[in-house]
Amino acid sequence: MGSKMRHRASAIAAIAAVLALSACGSSSSDGASSGAFPTAGTGEVHVYNWTDYIDPEQLKAFTAETGIKVVLDTFDSNETLLAKLQAGATGYDVVVPSDYMVAQMVELNLLQKVDVAGFPNGKNIKPNLMDVYWDKGRQYSAPWMYGTTGIACNTVDPNCAKITSWKDWFTIGAPKMDSLKDQVEVVSAALRATGVAAADLCTTDKSKYLAAQNLLDGFKPAVIDSDSGIERVIAGTSNIRQAWNGSAHRMKAKVPTVEYIYPKEGLNLWADNLVIPVGAPNLDNAKIFINWMMDPKNAAAESNFTGYDNGITGSDAFMAADLKSDPAVIMPADKVALATPTPNCSKEARDLYTQVFTTWTTGQ
Amino acid sequence: MTSSYLAISNIKKSFNTPEGGTVHALDDVTLDIQSGEFFVMLGPSGCGKTTLLRSIAGLEYPDSGVITLDGQRIDDIPAYNRPVNTVFQSYALFPHMTVAQNIAFGLEMEKLDKAEITSRVGLALEQVKLAGYEKRKSSQLSGGQAQRVALARALAKKPKVLLLDEPLSALDLKLRRGMQIELKRLQQETGITFVFVTHDQEEAMSMGDRIAVFNSGKVVQLDTPREIYRRPVNSFVADFIGETNLLDGVAGTDGITLPGGGMLLRSQVAEDCAIPDSGAITVAIRPEDFEITDTHGAITGTVRDSIFTGDTVRIHVTVTPEVEVAVSLPSYGARIPDRGEKVSLSPSGNSARTVAS
Amino acid sequence: MTAINVATESPALQNEQMRPGQTSPRLALPTVLFLVATIAVPIAITFVYSFLSTADIGTGVKWDFTLSAYRHLFVQDKLDGTTAFDTRYVKVIWNSFVYSAITTVVTLILSLPIAMWIATRAESARNFLVAAVTLPFWISILIRTYGLRQLIDDNGPVGGVFHRLGLDYHIIYTPTATVIGLIYVFLPFMILPIYASAERFDFSLAEAGYDLGAKRMTVFRKIVLPSIRPGIISGIALVFIPALGSFLQSDMLGGGKANMIANVIANQFGQSRNWPFGCALSVLLIGLTVLFVQIIRGISARSGDQVNLV
Repeated sequence: MGSKMRHRASAIAAIAAVLALSACGSSSSDGASSGAFPTAGTGEVHVYNWTDYIDPEQLKAFTAETGIKVVLDTFDSNETLLAKLQAGATGYDVVVPSDYMVAQMVELNLLQKVDVAGFPNGKNIKPNLMDVYWDKGRQYSAPWMYGTTGIACNTVDPNCAKITSWKDWFTIGAPKMDSLKDQVEVVSAALRATGVAAADLCTTDKSKYLAAQNLLDGFKPAVIDSDSGIERVIAGTSNIRQAWNGSAHRMKAKVPTVEYIYPKEGLNLWADNLVIPVGAPNLDNAKIFINWMMDPKNAAAESNFTGYDNGITGSDAFMAADLKSDPAVIMPADKVALATPTPNCSKEARDLYTQVFTTWTTGQ
Repeated sequence: MTSSYLAISNIKKSFNTPEGGTVHALDDVTLDIQSGEFFVMLGPSGCGKTTLLRSIAGLEYPDSGVITLDGQRIDDIPAYNRPVNTVFQSYALFPHMTVAQNIAFGLEMEKLDKAEITSRVGLALEQVKLAGYEKRKSSQLSGGQAQRVALARALAKKPKVLLLDEPLSALDLKLRRGMQIELKRLQQETGITFVFVTHDQEEAMSMGDRIAVFNSGKVVQLDTPREIYRRPVNSFVADFIGETNLLDGVAGTDGITLPGGGMLLRSQVAEDCAIPDSGAITVAIRPEDFEITDTHGAITGTVRDSIFTGDTVRIHVTVTPEVEVAVSLPSYGARIPDRGEKVSLSPSGNSARTVAS
Repeated sequence: MTAINVATESPALQNEQMRPGQTSPRLALPTVLFLVATIAVPIAITFVYSFLSTADIGTGVKWDFTLSAYRHLFVQDKLDGTTAFDTRYVKVIWNSFVYSAITTVVTLILSLPIAMWIATRAESARNFLVAAVTLPFWISILIRTYGLRQLIDDNGPVGGVFHRLGLDYHIIYTPTATVIGLIYVFLPFMILPIYASAERFDFSLAEAGYDLGAKRMTVFRKIVLPSIRPGIISGIALVFIPALGSFLQSDMLGGGKANMIANVIANQFGQSRNWPFGCALSVLLIGLTVLFVQIIRGISARSGDQVNLV
């Protein structure tokens, strides 16, 4: 479950540095770029994206400029997307997986190696988002939105002042707390709260998971749901939420007293990507679409719609002022070190995540 | 005959029709039914007889009037407390119960002990000749058997009055004849007062000690079957009970001039019937009361057809283009006229009657 | 049934004469194939997958035979290295059972008077009222459940009452909300079969009971109720069994806490990516469903009623 309404926003390039594999400065020009890059096309491009995660006005603009009609379909989790691609022959030309999911899809040979870095707008990819662990040198994927998963708190609730860490979050026992329904986010936060280092979040040491499970035993939020968070905060029925920073930004727009808390044990940094699945019926149109979205002006328009930062250099200039001035989106300098990539764990570790998460949700 | 047992006084009941009108189902009905009597309420459908029966049962509440039973007023007692029971037209056996459970139901409501119930169920089944059927489901019964069970169920309650709402109408003719005899026997054996509703005059005649003939919410005649047959008070009764030729005549000093110009002499009319010296008058002559006379009969006409029915031959005689009479002649003895033959007819003795129209 | 005969006995049928009004059994063949493809095959896949292992990467299964999914239903390899009887899934199944049972009882209590009332109206009013009962079917269940959520939300017209009274009581995102959602969705499935039975009820039976000395409540209990029992049993089957496997109400109204078995199953195909275990849970759910159908059949057979189930 967990339909992630992706209204994420994120920090500036500084955060993205964490995502990059700084050791590898690999170049971006091997691969199979053949002939001149198409600039206009006919027919359609079939896009499969998260719910409410792309600006419909921008799609119209794209059609006006390129003559290509966009057919949009939406999904609610990386797993849904993966299952669909694995079933084969989906008819989609562009899909939007998160970081670790790109890595798995590459491993499963589900994506086309089109040398995104070599696209005309490939030069706009932020340098520190070029050599990410899931796609060194951007052979398969173009950056889309990225952000962090922290805690949004409405400061009218006195408990906000008492929450500075995941440990506080899990133990404070306040009313009006909502958790995301996301296995990786919940369990990794619990691991962090029990002293597991960011680099060790994919540990297979069962005692670490036992400690996390014991912590979660006492954690009973009002709601476990990735949906409807913003409405509940506006309504005042939810004050303290595990939330994506973009959600926090949007809450703040409606409820100015909302603050985004960076837990001191650290928090997950995720990045979504545009990729072309194997068997895409309109390959050229897909390339045109991705290239168009890497234009700074277009990328900024998407950020303004979603509330998250994007991976395109120069888009800042076109971004809305309130987005750029929000510490939820623009990570303060002293918090940058807290953000580490969402762990992409082995099957063994993933099974342990599942076990802890299932025990928690069924024990509510 | 003892004095009145079930007394129905001035009962009125009206219904609103869907069209917005009002129907007087019972229009000031007063009846006295005696203890141990087999009382029949007869009439065409919609005449009010069933409404009266349901009012006695407590399934319908009259607008006004009083019903007393054995000196006690019962019209304000709910049905479940009235010492009367009903045999329904559709039998209304409980389909989820066995025969024995159906009969025991009413006894359980009286909170009788188990042994008493078992013995009364057995007795009731014997009375209706269905001993051994206790365990049958009511869906496994034939129409006649279901009828007997419905009867046993009501009788087992030992009601002061047993109400029967057209109980035989769903049975075929042969079964119906058998049940008529059996009902009569049961009534005599048990001594229970039966109030029996029917629209079948033959059934009414063969079973009733007394018959109340209903029409349009009123009792038009109340008497023994013989009297009602012999002396109908009006043309409705004359026509409804048995078959009657109703002839429009004109009274004179000598007698009554009938259609076709023939003269019915005063001596041919029953003594209890008054004949004025002038004016229109209706004459009733039953088909079996005609005899063929040589000439100068009261009625002259042409034989249209003749039908052999076994013990009698029925002939239809055309008197004028508008008037035809039915005649029933014994098949042996008298000569049967042929079709097309001109015949002259007269009532035998003083069997003709005058009736109010 | 007939159609399965077609497949095996069609040569024999060729010489059989068809009565007027009968259609060729062959016409049923496409439907049978459709049903086989959409019901039998998925169940078979579910069954087979439940004995396989999870894929090393991505979704799906690996063709390694194992009983671990079934073991996993009842035995937990705890994180401290010990194994123990796993109460988690038993508890979830028990929850599902309790919620479905409450739903069944409440819908039954609500349906009896309304079904009897409709059955005793004039025919035109009856048709209108039956249409009104079926009206919710015209709207997507998702939208209706959203609507209900607005209603019982802490700020909704109903849920907000407690809030305005200053009480710290919430309906939304509690098991109560799940059960309310189930009752709301399944109510028509209880009303309609009871109404169908009640409509056929011969009210002279009730009069006969009254005439034989039974008061109104006794008449209802001993005569009306047994007569509409086939409808009640159908209603119970139509409510209890689907409620047992329902997903949406718990997901949308119950606060996403895996309170019913279907939610746990859905998790296995989503977040947890454990298809074999999801399949094993599904097989268990199918087994429970068959068991309850048999129990209901047994009850209806014993009472001698004609109830059409499955």
